[in-house]
Amino acid sequence: MLLALIKKELLALIRDVHGLAALFLMPAVFIIIMSLALKDVYDPPVKTLPYAIENLDNKDFSTTLIDEWAKRHGEALPEYTDWSSQVQSGKLSYVLVIEKGFSDALVSAKSDGEIQLRLITDPGLEGGVFAANKAELIMIASEMRARALLAASRMAMTAPRGRPGAAPIVDAEVNVSAQGMVSAERLATGSRPSAVQQNVPAWLVFGMFFVVASLSNLFLQERECGALARLASFGVPVSMMIWSKALPYLVINGMQAALMLTVGVWVMPVLGGDALSLAGIHWGALVFILLAVSTAAIGLALALASLVRTQAQAATMGPVVNILMAAIGGVMVPKFVMPDVMQRIAEFSPMNWGLEGMLAVLLRGSDMGGVLLPSAKLMGFALLMMLIAVLLFRRRVG
Amino acid sequence: MLEIRDLAFRYSGADRSALSGVSLNAARGKILGLLGPNGAGKTTLISHLSGLLQVQQGRISIGGQPLAEIRRATPTRVAVAPQEYAFYPMLTVNENLECFASAGGLGGTRKQQRIAACLTFAQLERYAKTRAERLSGGLKRRLNLAIALLPEPDFILLDEPTVGVDPQSRAFLLDAVKTLAKNGAAVIYTSHYMEEIEAIADSVVIIDDGKVLREGTLDELLGGGEAQVYLGVDGVRGASLNELLAGFGASTRTGEDWLVTLSAGKTPLALLVALEQVGGKIRFAEFGRSNLEQIFMALTKHSLRD
Repeated sequence: MLLALIKKELLALIRDVHGLAALFLMPAVFIIIMSLALKDVYDPPVKTLPYAIENLDNKDFSTTLIDEWAKRHGEALPEYTDWSSQVQSGKLSYVLVIEKGFSDALVSAKSDGEIQLRLITDPGLEGGVFAANKAELIMIASEMRARALLAASRMAMTAPRGRPGAAPIVDAEVNVSAQGMVSAERLATGSRPSAVQQNVPAWLVFGMFFVVASLSNLFLQERECGALARLASFGVPVSMMIWSKALPYLVINGMQAALMLTVGVWVMPVLGGDALSLAGIHWGALVFILLAVSTAAIGLALALASLVRTQAQAATMGPVVNILMAAIGGVMVPKFVMPDVMQRIAEFSPMNWGLEGMLAVLLRGSDMGGVLLPSAKLMGFALLMMLIAVLLFRRRVG
Repeated sequence: MLEIRDLAFRYSGADRSALSGVSLNAARGKILGLLGPNGAGKTTLISHLSGLLQVQQGRISIGGQPLAEIRRATPTRVAVAPQEYAFYPMLTVNENLECFASAGGLGGTRKQQRIAACLTFAQLERYAKTRAERLSGGLKRRLNLAIALLPEPDFILLDEPTVGVDPQSRAFLLDAVKTLAKNGAAVIYTSHYMEEIEAIADSVVIIDDGKVLREGTLDELLGGGEAQVYLGVDGVRGASLNELLAGFGASTRTGEDWLVTLSAGKTPLALLVALEQVGGKIRFAEFGRSNLEQIFMALTKHSLRD
């Protein structure tokens, strides 16, 4: 009897193609995506980040520093007159500013504590990469300073007695470290980068796209019981049926956003975490990108709902599509820790467009200009999905 | 009068037509029983009437005006109560009625009047605030019917409205259908329960393989006063049996048995004697009018359908 029941269970499993896909294919795809995405996580891609240098010193030591930095990080991009906005938008990961007195300060036995090297980074630059770059800059500058001081000391020792100029250097008084002349800062945005500042946009976008599962399940239920066919026979136009589904989910997405932001701003500090900072953000841009994410999510939900044939398909497809988009799109693994290839693939995920737009507002303090491109992509995607939904909807209703 | 003339339809990719030249009439104040085995083409016909399928060939009209035009102007003039429970299980009875009344273009006082009237007609007042998913099978059928009646349609198509209900609910539903016709609606009623059709239909159409096999009033179909003998006989078969039966009237084979419509002047006794004289052993013999099931089985054969 047990064997017969086991056989039944196995046959049921084998014949549930979508269930099998969720059981076997999804973990396999997930392993591939996550492995590729996390490939560089223990070897941060500091060498490949786009950067520029502003050299105000223009002396030998600054040139040496630039050469040394280029050996480790590749050539700098051409100097931008307005590098600030490039860094702000994340197009440049950082700018290394070499102040005018750098070369003199480097060989000065007594450091006056003035900052000579400034590393100004993208507000969203990952903490590890930020710290690694700063430490490397201190190390290179310290090495140069040590070599320069040593050379000066040797010159002083070998100089003819009584000759003026080369002051004797007493080791105990000299600080070889260049730490005091190096500063690193994220470009000020009004928002303090923190885990919550990065996580809220990511999971909010993910959550908003989860309407796919809910909407398509209800659609299938309506279709299978004949309620949609009945509405059609009552003369309800397809466009109205679609709108009647889209608008409530637009409101739901809005409520999700309000809830997630509330959790970030007020609940996280109560639980001992960092608070989400909304100080100084452009509210119009935030609402606009949220609207774009919502239309894309609803468009995708409607297209999928029209595409699938059974509730089993809807129950599997929705979550699978969501999770894969999240894995590829930088929600589960931040895009900046992904290798180049995966970063390029991420740019095809609508979740990534939404995430980039949200990060632009919440992390980089962008205004409308900063969210226009991701919003346009999202709305274009939404339009395409709606078109598919309308084309398939009528057939499915019948 | 709803008229269907030479309606033919083939689904894309199908190797044969779902409907081939179907013609029938449904008059106001009358009930038309639509019979056919599974796969006969009933659903395709219903989908045409509910506007879910476009006419490929032939014509459907009401009072001479094409159905498509009528549906564009007043889509709720023809209502369909589908076989499925076509409503929202998570909504209450009243919420379902509200939703579909609005979908049917009703509003204001008229909407509330129609909801109240349909609740009363289907005797659902006590359940107005009950979620549809918690209703019994019979109550769900009544709700299904009530929704169809909301816009006061002139033509009502009921697709197996009594499936899975107890005898009491069935009797109630059949009475309700008769009342609809009495009130002036044209009712097309499909069912696999022949006795239901016999009980309420004024006329019957039997379709199979997308074609109309027989059409007429119940009297016409059930023999129209002609004497019929339904019999089973052993010991004689083949051409000799055919020849013998042909001498007494028109005969139709239903499985191992025969239905003989006696010609004028022929008697059942003479038929039975003739059979015995050629060595036949009468297993059984029924004399009188055929019932609908016998005619249906004779016309649609006994083979199982998809």
